[in-house]
Amino acid sequence: MIITTGVAYPLLVTAVGQTVLPSQSNGSQVILNGKVVGSEFISQSYNSAKFFQPRNDSASGVDPDITPDSAISQIPAINSATGIPVNVLKTLVDLDVARNKETNALVFAPDYVNVLSLNIELVKQYPEVYTNEISVKEAP
Amino acid sequence: MDIVILLVVLVGSLGLSVIFGRYIARMIVYEKRPLEKTLGRVENGFYKIIGIDRYEQMTWKQYFLAMVVTNVIAAGFLMVVLLYQNNLPLSPKPGLSLDLAFNTAASFVTNTNLQHYAGEQQLSIFSQMVGLIFMMFVAPASGIATAFAFIRGFIRKEFGLGNFYVDFTRIIITLLLPISFFSALLLLFLGVPQTLDSTITIGTLQGGSQTIPIGPVASLESIKELGSNGGGFFAANSSHPFENPTGISNVFECILMLVIPLSFPIAYGHLLGKGRGISILAAMLIGFGVMLALGLSEQSGPTGLETRFGSFGSTLFLESSVATNTGAANAALTGMSPNAVIGFFLGMFVQAIPGADGTGMMMMIIFVVLTLFLVGLMVGKTPEFMSMKINPRDVKLAAFVFLIHPALILIPSVMAYTTENAQSVLGEHTTPATFTQVLYEYSSASANNGSDYLGTSANTPFWNWSTAWIMLLGRYAPIGLMLAVAGSFTLRDRKEVVEPIKTSGFLFVGVLSVMVFILTALTFFPFLAMGPFSM
Repeated sequence: MIITTGVAYPLLVTAVGQTVLPSQSNGSQVILNGKVVGSEFISQSYNSAKFFQPRNDSASGVDPDITPDSAISQIPAINSATGIPVNVLKTLVDLDVARNKETNALVFAPDYVNVLSLNIELVKQYPEVYTNEISVKEAP
Repeated sequence: MDIVILLVVLVGSLGLSVIFGRYIARMIVYEKRPLEKTLGRVENGFYKIIGIDRYEQMTWKQYFLAMVVTNVIAAGFLMVVLLYQNNLPLSPKPGLSLDLAFNTAASFVTNTNLQHYAGEQQLSIFSQMVGLIFMMFVAPASGIATAFAFIRGFIRKEFGLGNFYVDFTRIIITLLLPISFFSALLLLFLGVPQTLDSTITIGTLQGGSQTIPIGPVASLESIKELGSNGGGFFAANSSHPFENPTGISNVFECILMLVIPLSFPIAYGHLLGKGRGISILAAMLIGFGVMLALGLSEQSGPTGLETRFGSFGSTLFLESSVATNTGAANAALTGMSPNAVIGFFLGMFVQAIPGADGTGMMMMIIFVVLTLFLVGLMVGKTPEFMSMKINPRDVKLAAFVFLIHPALILIPSVMAYTTENAQSVLGEHTTPATFTQVLYEYSSASANNGSDYLGTSANTPFWNWSTAWIMLLGRYAPIGLMLAVAGSFTLRDRKEVVEPIKTSGFLFVGVLSVMVFILTALTFFPFLAMGPFSM
């Protein structure tokens, strides 16, 4: 029984997962310009006012999402730090909410914003604004 | 939107339990199952390895002993793994202290999964996999097997209660393992990771680097929910995005927790009359409905909750988890509203709405026996169940099963305060909120639930030893007594006459539900008044 349930079963799931679903199996890593920039499901900290900020009073401590209200309340600050128009920021938030709704088959979760994917979208749309922030420091 | 989620969870789990209930009924009476030949061959291989005669029938004492011996061996194995994980492969970590290892082994073998350790920090991948995942099959299989034996007590006459080793093997190989495997793959698809690495080090958007704990989470997560286990891979349990990444995984995990407990009344209906099965199912759902209504009556969070679940998703998951004594949590209990917490206590006090895999059904039948006895007193008829007279000894044993629970909760709660151990963890100043946390800890331990407020802060010798013994007593004492009840019923004469008090129909469901509520309320209200009512 130890071998069946404790060894064979998890190894078989690992084998299937690594072959068929390698992205999910390894923590749903997100790639930007050929570089891994984080996991879709784990929040990271941003030390620049040009990015949307995650929350830190969640249950897991690594909640990757914020509510649409919280994202919208951050828009004025991001606008003054980057000069990106408010209505563009609002649209990007709405698009991210819509994308997450799709992930949850429309009805299975409340509306939320994934902070990493929203910030990645900002970097993609306004590379010149974020040149300094993402200047790749090689990992020490 | 919320109503759709609720409907999907209820319809999904009830629909699946109709299928599994029929299958479980076949398992109980050893009828032919789909793929019987192939399964039989695999199972015979196991019987040969452990050297048992599959046709041997056991008395209740033999059955109980076989279960305890199997559990002791498994718990001993887990304890050794945890103590010496530094010498074992796959990302070794320092061995746990003796008291923490004992607590964890007791916690997992009793299907409780109270966790005084932080999984991703303190356990190696080997311990999580070979130690805990293995035990997450053993514990529910033991509970389900005893429920099989218990139900056989009412349908067999002088033929023994079955063979524990045969039931145990068949439950793991042909029920838990296949469902877990497919559920693990579905969870993987939804974003739960599965790897043998213990961490990944990846870049951040700003060009830095981050180290994220990871592991064979999907294979643990599926049996964690299916088997009423509830012990998380991560300390944050199902609130961690790697255990429960989306709203869809949240709904799926709710269904997994509910499906086997709800299958039992259906199986019971197949074997002992449809009306009786549906009545028990209705009583369970009424209790669960009360818990849900309490939880949903007040908004929870947002502090301590995850954004992707919100108040509704967190409440639905937690009430399902506590109702089935799984004890998994997708939010911090401190983030939940007082009414939701009262709902949790109700679930842990009753332990049968619908309760854990197997044991929930047994507990509900104990409530049926108590109800028949009390109603019998009121109308002056000798109570009968399944055309068998209920004698004074049955009622005594059933009452004892019921009374063990408050004793195991209240005595250690008082001890925690008088020995200052509660104060040393929660602060000198005792408030309704801190009293609630102590009461919750022992309720969770005694009900073999496993959700808790204290977590790693209770990793002290007092809390580790005391909750470990409460979990063991809360598991084996009631199971032993319940099997004794079944053992005496199986020897009894039965005559096919009209039941003096019908055990099905609206009236019975109503009386049973009220009786469960009154018995629980009378026992626990004073303590709820000091705790969650005053929060």
